[in-house]
Amino acid sequence: MDFKRLLSGVLLGLVITPAQATLNVFACEPEWASLVRALVPDADIHTATTAMQDPHYIEARPSLIAAMRRADLAVCTGASLEAGWLPALISRASNQDVQPGKPGLFFAAEQVHLHQPHQHVDRSMGDVHPEGDPHIHLDPQRVPVILNALADRIVDLAPEQTNGIRLRQQQWKVHWHLKTTQWRNTARHLEGMSVGVQHSTFGYLLRWLGIDTAIDLEPKPGLPPSASHLSNVLSDPAIPELALILIATYQDERPAHWLAEKVDLPVEVLPSTVTNDADTDHLAALISHIIGRLEHYRSQRPNESASND
Amino acid sequence: MTHRYIGASALALALFPLATIQANQANELNPDVSVILDGYYKQNQTALSHRDQGFGLGHTELSLSSPIDDLFEGRLTAVLEDHEGETELELEEAFLQTTGMPYNLSVRGGRFLSQVGYLNSRHLHEDDFVERPAVYRALLGSHYFDDGLRLNLLLPTPFYWQIGAEAFDGGRLSEGDEDIGVYTVNTRVGGDLSRSQSWQAGFSYLNNRQTHSEAHEEHDDHDHKGDHSGHSHGAGYTGENLYITDLVWKWAPGGNNRQQQLTLSGEYLYADNLNEHATSDDVHEGWYASAVYQFAPQWSTGARYGQVELQDAHGDHFHHQELKETDVMLAWSRSHFSTVRLQYTHQEAEGFEQADNTVMLQYVMSFGAHGAHGF
Repeated sequence: MDFKRLLSGVLLGLVITPAQATLNVFACEPEWASLVRALVPDADIHTATTAMQDPHYIEARPSLIAAMRRADLAVCTGASLEAGWLPALISRASNQDVQPGKPGLFFAAEQVHLHQPHQHVDRSMGDVHPEGDPHIHLDPQRVPVILNALADRIVDLAPEQTNGIRLRQQQWKVHWHLKTTQWRNTARHLEGMSVGVQHSTFGYLLRWLGIDTAIDLEPKPGLPPSASHLSNVLSDPAIPELALILIATYQDERPAHWLAEKVDLPVEVLPSTVTNDADTDHLAALISHIIGRLEHYRSQRPNESASND
Repeated sequence: MTHRYIGASALALALFPLATIQANQANELNPDVSVILDGYYKQNQTALSHRDQGFGLGHTELSLSSPIDDLFEGRLTAVLEDHEGETELELEEAFLQTTGMPYNLSVRGGRFLSQVGYLNSRHLHEDDFVERPAVYRALLGSHYFDDGLRLNLLLPTPFYWQIGAEAFDGGRLSEGDEDIGVYTVNTRVGGDLSRSQSWQAGFSYLNNRQTHSEAHEEHDDHDHKGDHSGHSHGAGYTGENLYITDLVWKWAPGGNNRQQQLTLSGEYLYADNLNEHATSDDVHEGWYASAVYQFAPQWSTGARYGQVELQDAHGDHFHHQELKETDVMLAWSRSHFSTVRLQYTHQEAEGFEQADNTVMLQYVMSFGAHGAHGF
């Protein structure tokens, strides 16, 4: 750690950054705002959504159009996550720099391979994205790939900031690498745990941790939990294996609590993205926080199936 | 992008037969296709309505849209409407729009929905009620679209401020010989009051240069106007100057409109200089106010009141007409793509023969690409 600080201090001293125009960034979700901030701390960033909002359902409202008008760069998830609002924003803002195919529009999902891309999709399957699951931002392996691509993109747009961006990119990666090692250690003891979820919001992280998402409260992806689906879930043989029900802060808590009460399980409501709170104010902190909460339940219910025997 | 494409193709080549790849590649270049199905049952005939009594189809829409190249995008919308056993095919939209203009300028040309007012530029299937407010049906034929050109500019202000101007053929509002029959100017401002509240206000002016010549043609069929069930898509009532102000306010706790949202909206429309016989007292005037509350992800309910006072041209004089309308509705949306709506409409009228109360049951379903909705 000391070595890292020394190194970064020396490197910082070597970097001479001339006065430059502030980069104006439109971030569709807070996780991408957090990555941009890590690379360009003095960027003027407008974040379109919060952890309290379902990113699938945002309105192309006037304030967002105004923010998109100003942007030099828009950083979004892609893979149709924002299909219901981003195209309308882009069209209404008529910002010639932020258009499909232009360097000013960056899609995180285009930088990595997605889980479960579909050859065939129809709406009877629910809100399934043909490109694959777009909720990539909590994946310890995919986020660094996205960060590298994002750094390349910002360097293209603001070449005068190259030195600072490359330096912070390295720092971020070192920090992320250290964190990943910690998470992997914890994962060893979370492996095999089983949780109930609502939507695939935490899917990439849970898979990386080796945690099984045995139950989904949504009858189909994107449809709100229905009474009939929940009563089917009640008789699901996977229920006794669950350690908890994990939902995101933007989701309705009532279905999870209803089920939890019936089967005597705890409900954990966690932010699915970066917030203003100190313990979840950047992506690594958020992942640590989520893993910490899962660990808490693991130690409470070390092995549910064993106690049933 | 290219990298990903090559990667995906290589993978596909390894795993799937050639036919699949060809299909996928073609798909990439195909335009977005979207179909809207709109059907209803209506208990009684009502005044100034575009929907007949009984079972019927509303606005069945087939829409194609796609980027054309890196500077243009285009959209084609064909609407199939059924009137007295005859199916009409009409082009509602066929336009190109620029995407790469400097200074946040955009130009749209072809046939498109005019952006006057709040509701007019929206597609009918996005509405919260079965029909547009009475004042819209009377003065704009529910939604005014025409062949023309639009120029929009977003001003470099910290809040949202758009100004725009349109020039239209005008033949779809009222018939005439002018090459450019209709001009409009329009401005919109808006922003957020807090995380939970946002608003938008607009002002529009529409100049119709063909009101005078129309008066004679109107005279021939004025006796039927009260029974008019909307076969013509033009506006039934026009004036040289049409002014519209609109205001929208939306509230969703924490900005999470997936769970809950309250929308209040209202518009006021005023038209004068109806034709050469009109005095300054002969004006069309109307307004509506609507409240829609989406109280769960799949459910919404709403109420709307609207009224309109019209002057029906009879040669050199006018007959006063008035329609007051109250609607209440309950809608259920299984997914973002399907809505079933139950609505009760109460009409009170003066000078309309068919004013009545009615219950309507409507479905609006969409398949294929689903365009992003505006505010």
